[in-house]
Amino acid sequence: MSFKDEEQGIKDNNQEEEEEAVNTEDDSDPDEFEDEETTRNLVVPGEILTTDTKTFSPGRGTILTQDRSKIISLNIGLKQTKKNYINVIPLRGFYTPRPGDKVLALVTDKNPVKYRLDINSKEDAILKPKNTMKRGRETRGMRGGPPDRNTSNTDMFNIGDILIAKILSADRLNSPELTTVGKYLGKKNNGIVISIDPPKIPRVIGREGSMIKNLKNLTKSTIFVTQNGRIWLKAEDIAHERLLVDAIRKIEREAHTVGLTDRMVDYIENEKKKRGLK
Amino acid sequence: MPLIIKDEYPEKLFRDDGKRLDGRDKTELRPIKMEVGVVENADGSAYLEWGNNKIFAAVYGPREVHPHHLAKPDRGILRVFYRMTTYSVFERKRPAPGRREKEISMVIADCLEPLLFLELYPGTSFEVFIEVMDADGGTRCAATTVAALALADAGIPMKSLVTAVAVGKIDDELVVDLSGIEDKAGQADLPCAITWFNEELSLLQFDGDMNLKQMEEFLSLAKTALSEIYQIQLDALKKKYIEIQEEVSGGNS
Amino acid sequence: MMKIKRVISAIEKNYITQNLRKEERFDGRGLWEYRDISIKHDVIASAEGSADVSLGKTRIMTGLKYDVGVPFPDLPDEGVCTVMAELLPIASPLFERGPPDEQSIELARVVDRGIRHADCVQTKKLCIEANKAVYILFIDMYVLNYAGNLIDVGGISALTTLISAHVPEGKMEDGKLVWTGKYLDGEYLVNEMPLVLTYGKIDNVIFLDPSLPEELICDGKISISVTEDSITSIQKSGTATFSFDEINMLAKKTMEIGKKLRKDLNLWQYKVNYK
Repeated sequence: MSFKDEEQGIKDNNQEEEEEAVNTEDDSDPDEFEDEETTRNLVVPGEILTTDTKTFSPGRGTILTQDRSKIISLNIGLKQTKKNYINVIPLRGFYTPRPGDKVLALVTDKNPVKYRLDINSKEDAILKPKNTMKRGRETRGMRGGPPDRNTSNTDMFNIGDILIAKILSADRLNSPELTTVGKYLGKKNNGIVISIDPPKIPRVIGREGSMIKNLKNLTKSTIFVTQNGRIWLKAEDIAHERLLVDAIRKIEREAHTVGLTDRMVDYIENEKKKRGLK
Repeated sequence: MPLIIKDEYPEKLFRDDGKRLDGRDKTELRPIKMEVGVVENADGSAYLEWGNNKIFAAVYGPREVHPHHLAKPDRGILRVFYRMTTYSVFERKRPAPGRREKEISMVIADCLEPLLFLELYPGTSFEVFIEVMDADGGTRCAATTVAALALADAGIPMKSLVTAVAVGKIDDELVVDLSGIEDKAGQADLPCAITWFNEELSLLQFDGDMNLKQMEEFLSLAKTALSEIYQIQLDALKKKYIEIQEEVSGGNS
Repeated sequence: MMKIKRVISAIEKNYITQNLRKEERFDGRGLWEYRDISIKHDVIASAEGSADVSLGKTRIMTGLKYDVGVPFPDLPDEGVCTVMAELLPIASPLFERGPPDEQSIELARVVDRGIRHADCVQTKKLCIEANKAVYILFIDMYVLNYAGNLIDVGGISALTTLISAHVPEGKMEDGKLVWTGKYLDGEYLVNEMPLVLTYGKIDNVIFLDPSLPEELICDGKISISVTEDSITSIQKSGTATFSFDEINMLAKKTMEIGKKLRKDLNLWQYKVNYK
């Protein structure tokens, strides 16, 4: 999974040095909304997806009823049949942390041994100082002596800081743990962060990053999208940033429709003319 | 001693033409309108107008439990807070929540809980806030119906929606969907809710008197009405998305 | 902008502050502009007057109820008009259940003072018979969505509620209260049209109608109530300090903007005629 992240990162990096990496979803298909086999069938919780339980098995967002006679949806979403699995791609929902995900996190609290960060999930994540520094020679103490002060306190970040972090571990019972050591990870010093519905993040990225590439090129901006429903962005001025945010809001609103990528290009071009932007 | 106009109960609850006071037939529902996504800040929300009832429901969660001691280590908890505004009733209600509101909150929570997979979210809470802005009979049913919509709008995995309605007896006749005045002046009132994944009753209360035959009749009346309301619920949930689809495809062709 | 949290991110704070210095706000408004206001009146059948007012994404629903009681001995011919506010937990993850907190009390108090000191509702008109019976009016505000600047929305919604009022008219006959079948309407009850305008201050920049992120990071706020020709109440909150010149400038601005707002809103269109 992480291999794919890196690959995407390197590709972007070659184009332009300052360009930020796209954190693609680790599913094989980042934009399953555009999948041909995804019907535009809107389903709601409890809706019967099929009664043919011999041919089909329940996939994501679905459940087999107790009498095994039908598969029903658990979410409001789009019905998708993949091989013999029936899935429901949710249109609404919350973020569940998974190891390897990159997230935009907000430092909400700290004490001498750890930071607490809001990652838009059901509970705060933990960041320990040892996961904020590369383990190199300079941080190790002399001849096996006590470690350098810097590795064991929480002076590096402050409450209110926005960090790009990677999830090291996450399960149902323990608070997720983060690291800020790695490519593209660390503190953000400028720009703004906006929130959208986490299930709609794949649409902002688009198939093979097509949507995000358009957004970046057309609004001359840098964007970093993370799975927890947050998007960091920065453009040359507030007018471009406003346009970019409006565009993202439009993607969020129209996430369940077809032909979105083409429509967005038209939208941004038109708006640029209307607003008198270059 | 405050002096207030009393809302008087009419002698008869049927008009001469056999219709109910608000012009409805015995099995006719009041006009119902529902909408989702009405409260920007909430994780999920819904609004309902059912006759003169006007109710908002909003869902927050899963999130950390406050106060912390209520958290359960092996499962999430569902908390429902049903409240009425001071001006939703004839005589100004006291602002603090009363016993009735607490009881209804509990009844609705018990009704909604079978729909959710709380065991998947240990240590967290789902909170459903229901705010009755205007009340005119059957608010617990209307509140349950709109709360289910808000949960679905929040994208919380659930087995199905739940729908509720009250049936009752007025002037010795069985009727569906009691209005405020029918509720107060009538002889019997049976609010009930159905969870659609198993088509079983998840909320059931009764006050009044009925014989076995009437009980059967009551339940069959309820079932027909519930299906009708369920359809409105489904439409409300999908409407927002279908409208955008149509708007977009209309613009393209 | 990011979903509301107790902590506002440092970069958002910087972003807002830096742009405000350039007289730019993220929603495209100028420093002295309101967000869009929409008003619906008489929305609650059970209330004797009501309003549903939105300012941007902030939304408050207000209703009027009445009671008839015995007047206070020291004010034998004056009724009472009280304002209450509740920040519903529906409206924001920042609001908690429970008894009213400081923020809701401040909202109710500032709106109440705006109405009281403007002589908006003349309490003598609420008297049915001196020493025996007077009206007690309850204006209860419920916040449905919180996106900044509750006070201004509260002020407009309380005033619209009073204008849309239809309180049964009573009179005393042989020591007993009887209802005439007529109603006291907005025209009878409302004497002055107070509006309250709230400004935020960040560093040295002052701006009208703070949005939620602006409100959460600002150093302080000042709310000024005005009628057509006088200032009737002021409330400064937060840690910001204002210079004498700033206050004079704001007072002048408030009269100006208030006049225009009063004209634009044209609240008398929300009067209800019952019978």
